[in-house]
Amino acid sequence: MKQNDFRILFFSALISLIGLAMIFSTGGSNYLLKQTIWLVLGIFFSLLVSKFSVRFWSAFSFLFYLLCLLATGLVLFYASGYPRRWFNIGFFSLQPSEFTKIGTILFLASYLSERKKLEKFADFFIPLLIIALPSSLIFMEPDLGAAQIFFPIMCVMLFWAGMPFEKILIFFSPLISAFTSFSIYIWLGFMVIFGIFVYSRKKLTEILYHIIINPITGLITPLIWHSLKSYQQKRIIAFLSPWIDPKGISWQSIQSKIAIGSGQVLGKGFLSGTQKKLEFLPERHTDFIFSCIGEEFGLLGVLIVTFMYILLFYRLLRIAHETKHKFSSLVVIGILTWFWYQTFINIGMTLGILPITGVPLPFISYGGSSLLACFLAIGIVLSIQRGKY
Amino acid sequence: MDPELKKYRFLQIAILLSFVLILFFSFKLQIFEGKYYHRLSEENRIKKKYIIAPRGNIYDRYGRVLANTRPAFYVSIIPALAEQKTITKIAQIFGIDTTEIKKKFKIEKNPYVAIKIVRDISFKQVSMIEEHRSELAGIEVGVEPVRNYPYADLFCHVLGYVSEITDVELKLMKEYKIGDYIGRTGIEEQYEKELSGKDGIDYVEVDVLGREVGKVAEYRPVPPVPGDDLYTTLDLELCDSTAQLLKPYPRAAVVALNPQNGEVYVLYSKPGYDPNRFVRGLKAAEWNALINSQDAPMFNRATMSCYPIGSTIKPFLALVALDKGLIEPKKRFEPCTGGLRLGNRIFGCWKIHGSLNLVEAITHSCDVYFYQLGKFLGIDNIAEILYELGFGQPTGIDLPQEKGGLIPDRNYLNKKYGRSWTEGHIYNLSIGQGDILATPLQLARAYTLFANQENVLVVPHLKLHQPPTIKKINKNIEALQTVREALHRVVLVGTGTLARVYGYEVSGKTGTAENPHGEDHALFVGYAPTEKPRILVCALVENAGHGGAVAAPLVGRIIKIFSEIEKRYSHETE
Repeated sequence: MKQNDFRILFFSALISLIGLAMIFSTGGSNYLLKQTIWLVLGIFFSLLVSKFSVRFWSAFSFLFYLLCLLATGLVLFYASGYPRRWFNIGFFSLQPSEFTKIGTILFLASYLSERKKLEKFADFFIPLLIIALPSSLIFMEPDLGAAQIFFPIMCVMLFWAGMPFEKILIFFSPLISAFTSFSIYIWLGFMVIFGIFVYSRKKLTEILYHIIINPITGLITPLIWHSLKSYQQKRIIAFLSPWIDPKGISWQSIQSKIAIGSGQVLGKGFLSGTQKKLEFLPERHTDFIFSCIGEEFGLLGVLIVTFMYILLFYRLLRIAHETKHKFSSLVVIGILTWFWYQTFINIGMTLGILPITGVPLPFISYGGSSLLACFLAIGIVLSIQRGKY
Repeated sequence: MDPELKKYRFLQIAILLSFVLILFFSFKLQIFEGKYYHRLSEENRIKKKYIIAPRGNIYDRYGRVLANTRPAFYVSIIPALAEQKTITKIAQIFGIDTTEIKKKFKIEKNPYVAIKIVRDISFKQVSMIEEHRSELAGIEVGVEPVRNYPYADLFCHVLGYVSEITDVELKLMKEYKIGDYIGRTGIEEQYEKELSGKDGIDYVEVDVLGREVGKVAEYRPVPPVPGDDLYTTLDLELCDSTAQLLKPYPRAAVVALNPQNGEVYVLYSKPGYDPNRFVRGLKAAEWNALINSQDAPMFNRATMSCYPIGSTIKPFLALVALDKGLIEPKKRFEPCTGGLRLGNRIFGCWKIHGSLNLVEAITHSCDVYFYQLGKFLGIDNIAEILYELGFGQPTGIDLPQEKGGLIPDRNYLNKKYGRSWTEGHIYNLSIGQGDILATPLQLARAYTLFANQENVLVVPHLKLHQPPTIKKINKNIEALQTVREALHRVVLVGTGTLARVYGYEVSGKTGTAENPHGEDHALFVGYAPTEKPRILVCALVENAGHGGAVAAPLVGRIIKIFSEIEKRYSHETE
């Protein structure tokens, strides 16, 4: 048995240190102190958790999952404030949805690792059920940013467990059909191209799926949408994207782009971002912290941060690849997808290429629960890695 | 390739591609457009400019405009760009205090959002600003839609007015922003949500003087959503005629409505004020003058002033007595000799009536008859019918700040006078004097019971095409019929003959409310035609004397004008 390879812990801690510097720059010493305490706790728990065996994670995965569901359910009743996301415990508050990501990944991995073949269409439905429960509870908080993350995690884990990529694509085609249906030409294009693809595979269930379910979702969605009153549509849009600035749809996005763009190559220097100083940038220590990195350290800062994320993600992917134990491998892939998806969505949002949904940047955004959950996940990967060799 | 390795490579490439995408857009922002964004951030020259959404128009029942919007010039300041001397200069031009300007700065957090300082300014003032342009960095002149009331004070009470939102309100109402107008009193307040639209947003780049250089092409403007139009039940022509008829009197209130469905044609109160003045913003002295005036012009007398209702109370006493079978319509009490002695006090009547039955007593408004009827009924019976007919509580009309009035029932009298209150209090109440207080609107609603022949009270409303809100009353039909007959006789041969209208059967009741502070208030509630009335009018003229002499002819003329308007419109629609 080999000793632990602490590189992933090292990368994570390094990214978190950049986060600490940015939190000081955007939020001041008060936020810095709190986040530092969380970081120390996070590393401590990470090391603690790494002592457990893979068998432990696998044996208790269902229990973890149930506990997480219970916590996310309870937060809807006992949360402090609105949205109902946090438990207030003395001096700090906990956000169960962050930990639910871990519980769901463990249970999904344990379920998928016991399946031999993943070729039937029905193989989708149980994983979908597993993620739908926590996802809809979190959706009710409401926290769309956290609720949506379970879908990419499920897809990548299914893929890793052996489900062909095309299957996943076909399964999700009704969603594509619904989204494209607002323009009849795009929708017809999708139906034709996708149809050719499905018919070439000559599988009856898939063809039936394409000629029944896709047209139904595609035709019904615009009908439902247009039958709604305009205030109902507005309510749905507002509900789906609660972070939209009530005073102007794209103000945050504009300010974020100015911040990043004005950083140019080398940035304005640490603590000298003008955008954040003038309070132009809302949520600058949480969801929009990347904008401040771009402003104060320029393209250089962006390169360094993204490079460190790539290193971390490649390392995780390699661990998943080299682990022969199926459950362990799936857990690592689930965790990787979680970090990767959040990073991409968050940065994409600050660059103005993705809609604004409140997703924290892993290891960097201010927030105790998010940081602690990330380090717990790293701890689990460490324990898996130990069992590998 | 080994399938495991294939999956591994696939994800490796996917991760790499996602970061390539991120870096590509970072490159685009920071290298290709870096200079542009740097320039914008240097002085944060991108400015969010609101496109003011016009408020919805308010129309009368025939689609005639009662309130609309017109363009007006305003001056605004961008705090981040304006220097002290600029602020001083502006304060000087418009004769305002610099501290007042600075107070407004503190409310909006973003120093690059323009804050309106003076509004609805004249063209001359605009040219003065343009002359001093070079000294006035951060100042801009713009045009915005503002509320306009073409009939000035004619509808001031029922429509209310709009004025700029205060900083206290701003903290409570997140959907508003500094400088927004908000509806005050009347329909403007009641239907604020529908009438106010949603402002749009424009993104513009400005130079160091705060002048607009151009649009920021990248950001699409958000178009404003205009407020909804509102159609009211009011009748412009009838309101105007009412105001003309009331010219000789300084203070009065008139309510005219359809007793079948509660649509209000006229809700007029005088004196009034010009709501257009509020658009510009009143100076403290002007405001104080308005609210401290003896005549209380801001007060809607029709819905907020509480008066004793005088003899208009008599039909209610008659109704409860007949309905409960306590008396026969033929019943005669002691004959009226011009007064009734109680202890060592004499309660007078306005005339010597002799012996009367119930219908005659209403027709000639004999006080002595009703002193005796009131005593016979007792306080509880009287209070019960008054409560049932809605006195003592707001009518529920779609207007804010309505008053409820007062019914002196047993509890009230015990509390106010101790156990020592006497029959004298009931005597007073029986002729609508003493402690009872009601608004003209409440009185009009109570009379809808007599007018609509459906045994229901109708709640008045102002929004057109609303289904009527009614309250079942369930009184004995014969009792109601007897009272109606009496009300008809009031106009035929009684105290209300001046309300007669040629070719129209009018019914009603006069009232004279004694007023401890001066001349009596004249009252008349009437409806026509008697068979199936389409209009019910309640008029109250302060300090004008007898109801029969002043209020009855007024109501008669309003009914006549109504019938002419009605005829004309029915011809037009034929």
